Amino acid sequence: MKIYFQKKDFNIGKELNNFSKKNKNVGSIISFVGKVRPVNNNNKLKFMEIDCYKKMALHQTNKIIDILISKGGIIDYQVIHRFGKLLPSDNIVLILVASQHRKEGFFFIEDLIKWFKSKITFWKKEFYLNSSAWLKSQK
Amino acid sequence: MRILYFAKISEELGKNEDLLLIKDKLRIIDVVNILKKKNEKYNLVFKKISNIKFAINCEYATKNDYITDNDELAIFPPVTGG
Repeated sequence: MKIYFQKKDFNIGKELNNFSKKNKNVGSIISFVGKVRPVNNNNKLKFMEIDCYKKMALHQTNKIIDILISKGGIIDYQVIHRFGKLLPSDNIVLILVASQHRKEGFFFIEDLIKWFKSKITFWKKEFYLNSSAWLKSQK
Repeated sequence: MRILYFAKISEELGKNEDLLLIKDKLRIIDVVNILKKKNEKYNLVFKKISNIKFAINCEYATKNDYITDNDELAIFPPVTGG
């Protein structure tokens, strides 16, 4: 059960393989990978900068995950969320979840992503060919 | 008290944090009013307070919540998510 906020990329295959080996006695392992869209709102992206309040993001993510786990069925999870400079098609987020049955795992990922989209203390600035813009809140 | 700034606010102020010494407790809005008096740049950034979010020690807070010198105050725009 680990949460990482980091600048460096992650190896999807390696992380999934290690997680799967660690969780031998479960019925389901689900992975979600979020990536940088090369085009956003009809603007071709050069790169993106994500600013983050890491300490608060970690504190708040732990709290929401405690709530999600209290719903039952989740055995293990791993979250890696990147910040800093990201290029089009780069990986942004990896969520791995192990559960007895697939349903709880899918709910866990969907609820956590929804929470990330609206509450996590991250701010995205997109850089296009001739301009840049801080993205607006999705709430 | 440590005051942290993020994203557009940090960019516009040209810094990530300030240190401010306060006696007893103050409301966040009182701290913002002190900051606004520092110079014109601060005054402009904190003019539209309705677009600004706050956190005390990593918990979301409102402008009327109280803060002491031992707390960490974060000031930032609405989050844009992961």
